Amino acid sequence: MSHHQEDAAVIHRIRNKEKDALYTLYDKYSGALFGIILRICRNQALAEDLLQETFIKIWENIEGYDSDKGRFYTWAYRIAKNTTLNALRKSDMLIQTEDLGVLKDKDTTATTDIDLNTLNGAIKKLEPHHQEALSLVYFRGYTHREANEEMGVPLGTFKSYIRQALQLLRESYKSDFLLIWWLFEIVV
Amino acid sequence: MMDRKDIMEQGLLEKYLLEELSSEETKAIEIALANDKELRQHLQLLEEDFEKMAFENAIAPPAAIKSALIARMEPTKVRSLPSSSLWIAASFAALFLLSSLWMYTKWQTAQDKLDFIQNQSTVLQDRLEVLEENYKLTNSRLQIINHPNTIPFVLKGNNITPNSRAVAYVNHANRLVVVNPKGLQPLPDDQTYQMWSDVEGEMINMGLLPTDKDLVTLKYIDHAESLNITIEPAGGNDHPTVERLISAVTLL
Repeated sequence: MSHHQEDAAVIHRIRNKEKDALYTLYDKYSGALFGIILRICRNQALAEDLLQETFIKIWENIEGYDSDKGRFYTWAYRIAKNTTLNALRKSDMLIQTEDLGVLKDKDTTATTDIDLNTLNGAIKKLEPHHQEALSLVYFRGYTHREANEEMGVPLGTFKSYIRQALQLLRESYKSDFLLIWWLFEIVV
Repeated sequence: MMDRKDIMEQGLLEKYLLEELSSEETKAIEIALANDKELRQHLQLLEEDFEKMAFENAIAPPAAIKSALIARMEPTKVRSLPSSSLWIAASFAALFLLSSLWMYTKWQTAQDKLDFIQNQSTVLQDRLEVLEENYKLTNSRLQIINHPNTIPFVLKGNNITPNSRAVAYVNHANRLVVVNPKGLQPLPDDQTYQMWSDVEGEMINMGLLPTDKDLVTLKYIDHAESLNITIEPAGGNDHPTVERLISAVTLL
């Protein structure tokens, strides 16, 4: 059974209100989603609450997921990101900062021991500006417009950073895949 | 319809993936995706890479989060407590019902008692009024009897009723005559005692003397020379039956 089919079966069970299926999805995706939530909000306790909230929303809104439109992770990622950004907007409204950006200067308020600025895997091999561009929009919850301002480059330049970075990432994964496939062929 | 080249060049798939597009743009992209297999495959690769990158940068959440999620998801476990609190609630409800019933009974009893006391109070009030009346009467009579100008006259029965005896109190100043007829011998129902004043030989009616009364106020007759008691038919007589005169006393 492929990764995709496995998810489809589990999601079908969630639609039938089988709670164990939600815990299966949690076991599989909580780490990836927690990585996103924690990098956006930079607050361990808040991130823990928001991760729980995200899975409750997945449970309650599973009917809204359409596998024809995309992977489960993409859908869950959007829920996690929006839940986190909304929580930050609420807390920002409470502290009434003049700064309208939700995410600005959050580095200084990080309340976790985990190094959130260093990324792992294929992205780590990219050049710093490609890393930063991908990191801002994929891991930090910035929009393209906010991110290009953050990086201090024009939007067009930023978009090309993203496209280049994704292209390089694709090649990196493809070469990994080819390497594995090649090793597999040798072993067989 | 949006064309693939534009979508790719503008980085709209990335934005679609990140949900950064407006709802109109999203619809346009979805239509393009539905009609363009290559675009669809491109998105799938993008999603795949995106997911891989996320997994490479996953951070394991503390185990307590899963437990907390399970606790939130399991209403039966969490609400097993409520089932006991339901019993507690039910017990309180029953207790409340019983105490209400008890209170109601108490209230009813108190109400009955109050009604009884109110009735008693009314009875006592009535009795007090009667007593007051009696007291006033007695007091006024006593004042009449004890008045310095009042002269008591004892009228003893003659041979017709030898054991009879009445006392007349006469006050000339106030022109009052009060008689105590208690001592007169009881008569059959068709007869009564009647008192008369003798004024220059003429007997003038003063009134009846019912023997069941303590004191009877009679008419004061000016210039009366004597008081006389006769036995007359019930209801009294216009003229005295002299043959049945039982007692007389001179006032002069």
